[in-house]
Amino acid sequence: MTKPTGPEAVRVAGLHKSFGPLVALDGIDLAVPPGQVYGLLGPNGAGKTTLIRCLVGLLHWEQGEVEVLGRRMPDESVLAEIGYMTQAAALYGDITAEDNVRFFAAIHGTGDIDAALRFVHLEDRRRSVTATLSGGMRTRLSLACTIVHRPRLLLLDEPTVGVDPQLRAELWDGLRAMAADGATIIVSSHVMDEAERCDRLGLILDGRLLAEGSADELRTQAGTDRLEDAFLALAAQGTRADAP
Amino acid sequence: MSLRRTLAITRRLLAQFRHDHRTLALLFVAPILILGIFALLFENGTSPAALGVENLDRGGLGSRLVTRLEASELVAVEEASRPELDQSLEDGELDGFLVLPADLTERLGSGELGIELHVRGTDPGSTAAIQRAMAQAFPEALAGVLPPTGAGPPALDVEPIYRYGGAELDTLDLLGGPFIGLVVFFLVYVVTSVSFLRERTLGTLERLMASPLRRSEIVVGYMAGFTVIALVQAVEVLVFSVWLLDLYNAGNLLLVFLIEVLLALGAINLGIFLSTFARSEFQAVQFIPLVITPQILLSGLLVPVASEPEWLQLVSNVMPLTYAVDGLKAIMLEGRGLESGGLLTDLAVLAGFAVLALLAASTTLRRTVA
Repeated sequence: MTKPTGPEAVRVAGLHKSFGPLVALDGIDLAVPPGQVYGLLGPNGAGKTTLIRCLVGLLHWEQGEVEVLGRRMPDESVLAEIGYMTQAAALYGDITAEDNVRFFAAIHGTGDIDAALRFVHLEDRRRSVTATLSGGMRTRLSLACTIVHRPRLLLLDEPTVGVDPQLRAELWDGLRAMAADGATIIVSSHVMDEAERCDRLGLILDGRLLAEGSADELRTQAGTDRLEDAFLALAAQGTRADAP
Repeated sequence: MSLRRTLAITRRLLAQFRHDHRTLALLFVAPILILGIFALLFENGTSPAALGVENLDRGGLGSRLVTRLEASELVAVEEASRPELDQSLEDGELDGFLVLPADLTERLGSGELGIELHVRGTDPGSTAAIQRAMAQAFPEALAGVLPPTGAGPPALDVEPIYRYGGAELDTLDLLGGPFIGLVVFFLVYVVTSVSFLRERTLGTLERLMASPLRRSEIVVGYMAGFTVIALVQAVEVLVFSVWLLDLYNAGNLLLVFLIEVLLALGAINLGIFLSTFARSEFQAVQFIPLVITPQILLSGLLVPVASEPEWLQLVSNVMPLTYAVDGLKAIMLEGRGLESGGLLTDLAVLAGFAVLALLAASTTLRRTVA
């Protein structure tokens, strides 16, 4: 277990979190430097969302330390610099797309609404009532609300669910551009082509970080050609190691 | 119709209840609570009307009449001088008082007795009780003093003098004012609690909690937004009741509006506060039988608070609607203004409740999701 100090955008040490008898996070150590795109991979219920919620202070944890943008969490002063996108597109359905983005800009005190809508290719639907947008459009709008205040740290919980492959590629180009500008991005996913776009991946299973590395490193480590196979192989190894 | 498919619906429904203990508890607790309050309110029957008497009669009829009235279960009699009686009627300690003239016994032959009956006029039940008690007591009192003549005893024909309102006030006038308060409180509460809960169930609250927004900013922002809606509603309710329903109003409409606003602010904050304890819109709506119904029963809207059992009055006295009902009656029926200590108390309590609910709402709103 490492002490959380240093220049990392996110540093997690020995994080334990349980919900009653269910252990959701079982000693997570994580360090993400500024400007990195870090992918949290793992099946449903692995602990990805719980980890992200701990990072923004939405959950209390029993053990361990979390440091975000140089401040020890929970610390509300850091929230202005974070963009958090929840798994379900949490938006206000009865106002327009533009009004949703404007609202999130206002509560963060800053933001370029037009740029955010352009980023997710929704300029032409800006005046549509949000409830009338398709599922994929709502996901994109949710992303626009997350990035509108140009946060230094983006926490994206499965951000491209329901978005078609072509738009997904364009969104990722946008996210890579933000990272190039210095933003740190932590993204949870179980889509493998998304994982390929991350600088570094962490494989989470049953609340533990089983393996970490770039996509290539993970493939080499598992001795497979496809990331998906590597994922399955590493998960199987992790589970076996777990057996008494 | 397939029995299997139909039973599938039934079985699923019962399974849902098995996992929603709160709904189940409510289904069985709420009726007992509501019927229990109902029984407590009405089983005692109505308490006697408070009747003051100034007996100036030099003859024997006055004191005989007072004795007979004292024996009546319909009224509780208290003898005092005129200025004291006037003050007590003003303060609401008396429902009415009688002035028996000095020459009452002498007037017996003349037909015109000169008895004055002053009533508050805001509670037709007590006025009727006083009139019934007099109608019973008078012939009994006469039996001892009246010289046996061929003609029957003189009729007791006393026209009440109303302090507030008058004989023309109907049930609508008497209940309408307090009802304005109830309507505002109920609707604002329901709309606020459900829409704040939607913020939680849709996940937007989670986003707000992960933003720099402070909890107090969320609650006060909500309060301000709903206040705009509530103000429009309050104006609408007032215009409809006073101009279209022709509700009796002896006081300043701005004060009625002020009570509506304070009540709405309290209802908004209470709605946000209680929505913290609900997991679904369904559960939020379930608070209605627990939060709203007892207030309807105990606020003095149906039965005067003073005639409730004493311990139940304590419950009434912590409910905001009680003060709204009292204040609305004082303004609309009695024409009282800010010079009235009672009305100022009502306004202060309503304002205090709104602040208390605001503090409760902002402190229970947690930043964490679990």
